[in-house]
Amino acid sequence: SVQAHKEEDNPQKTMEVNGLMPVPDSYDYDLIIIGGGSGGLAAAKEAAKYGKKVMVMDFVTPTPQGNSWGLGGTCVNVGCIPKKLMHQAALLGQTLQDSRKFGWEFTEEVKHNWMTMTESIQNYIGSLNWGYRVALRDKKVTYENAYGEFVGPHTVKATNKKGTEKLYTAERFIIATGERPRYLGIPGDKEYCISSDDLFSLPYCPGKTLVVGASYVALECAGFLAGLGLDVTVMVRSILLRGFDQDMANRIGEYMKEHGVHFIRKFVPIKVEQVEEGTPGLLKVTAKSTTGNQIIEGEYNTVLLAIGRNPCTRKIGLDKVGVNINETTGKIPVNDEEQTNVPYIYAVGDILQDKLELTPVAIQAGKLLVQRLYAGSTTKCDYVNVPTTVFTPLEYGACGYSEETAVEKFGEENIEVYHSYFWPLEWTVPSRDNNKCYAKIICNIQDNERVIGFHVLGPNAGEVTQGFAAAIKCGLTKKQLDSTIGIHPVCAEV
Amino acid sequence: MGWEEVQVRGDAEFVRTAQSYHGRPIFALFCGDKDAEGRSWCPDCVTAEPIVRKELHNLPDESVFIYCLVGDRAYWKDPNNEFRKNLKLTGVPTLLKYGTPQKLVEEECFKAELVRMLFTED
Repeated sequence: SVQAHKEEDNPQKTMEVNGLMPVPDSYDYDLIIIGGGSGGLAAAKEAAKYGKKVMVMDFVTPTPQGNSWGLGGTCVNVGCIPKKLMHQAALLGQTLQDSRKFGWEFTEEVKHNWMTMTESIQNYIGSLNWGYRVALRDKKVTYENAYGEFVGPHTVKATNKKGTEKLYTAERFIIATGERPRYLGIPGDKEYCISSDDLFSLPYCPGKTLVVGASYVALECAGFLAGLGLDVTVMVRSILLRGFDQDMANRIGEYMKEHGVHFIRKFVPIKVEQVEEGTPGLLKVTAKSTTGNQIIEGEYNTVLLAIGRNPCTRKIGLDKVGVNINETTGKIPVNDEEQTNVPYIYAVGDILQDKLELTPVAIQAGKLLVQRLYAGSTTKCDYVNVPTTVFTPLEYGACGYSEETAVEKFGEENIEVYHSYFWPLEWTVPSRDNNKCYAKIICNIQDNERVIGFHVLGPNAGEVTQGFAAAIKCGLTKKQLDSTIGIHPVCAEV
Repeated sequence: MGWEEVQVRGDAEFVRTAQSYHGRPIFALFCGDKDAEGRSWCPDCVTAEPIVRKELHNLPDESVFIYCLVGDRAYWKDPNNEFRKNLKLTGVPTLLKYGTPQKLVEEECFKAELVRMLFTED
């Protein structure tokens, strides 16, 4: 049943494409991927393995501050990679302080140089961008540094930075365009504020910074900026880390507060004005209370907006090919095979509705999708029990249900929470907090006390959580956990 | 004006030469020394050199191509040699665009496609 309808006003196709049947070779490419980030590149490299003719289109629309970057997407350029490196820079500062208690003697004051750090990190990112281009070229995947948008059935238009347009056709498409930071929509936001898109390559030290938002992006950035010695304030509209276990979120906030990060709760900025030009300059922020009429003002060198990210789905011509998106959020609903409502168009990554916005999820989804399309596989991406880590100064690793969601789903009487504080051995000698690191597991009593949620707050949370995620995937029960002897002395033995 | 080639030997001469061409696109190929018959001790360099040379006509105008001999085999194998320390080279042959993270190492230099990409793309 292969039928193609081409109508002037409403190009809805009813063409069914079955990977096992031979299909007419009347397209430029077997697969065109719009977006060269974690999901897009994983799919591209996988498809090349099966001898498919693949094109990747990647383009970065410059930020309001004029900033742009190379191939690799958010994670590599303005996300996970630089974030973790700057987090590490901040941790090293702490380690230097601790080292004196372990006998290291140095009389000089330890200072931090923003430019040195940023240059090293950007250099590394540059080598990753280049590595991706070599990989694609080596595997014969065509890479176009151009903005891709649908213009008709099976057809996309690619516009490069010089404005040159080219048309390409493909049998199938994967949309992997990711997201960009949201702005507040208040006077002065685009002119004077920066976002995570700008922070990691900022050519000057941000100085006294106001971070607006309570997302993990906001808290991670606030955390490392404070760790590098800067004066940091976080302005929060309501709660911290929406969607995460709230008890853990509050512990993270408390820790940050006790370690020098200022919090302004229940306020939103309504205006940003420039007091002085400069790198950095001085900005005046006016904010209004969410619970009354109180207005406050503050001056900062830099204002970093981290209030959420919007999917890049509104301006890629989805209406021209009839792909449905959620009009409010911009996200694309897909079935459990990452297929949109248009059978030959798929989507992976952050733009998917109701799926986790994580690099490894996008990579896995992209790879498995391509294996299903071209290698006869039937394995679908498993979105359940995906582990994650928030790299705040006190790191938080989690896998599975938060306490609230578990209570909601199973009922309070049916879950049991086991928890414990722990004091990392490495923190004892330098007299660091002995009552902050914390871990808990949430068990389903009715299912053999199966561990359905794992949460840990402490150093190297990501490393600790990874192994537990595998155990949870295997159906770990409390009894099995109890009978597993711990490694000593490490945090994970708790 | 097209492109020009300069031949140097050793880390000090390389750095001096590169600095003297500051402002122009600089590409460099690092190979093991050649003996009296003109053959290098590095077999991969012997393979790569003609492939790279075949692509030189793609170099952007005003480019400088520095052909640099790194030294004899013993010198190269020393983990503390100047090239490893200063330029962070990990192997020979290495073809790179000076001042950027863009480089091709060892077998990557055998692929004309990749060499061309290094020479012609941003």
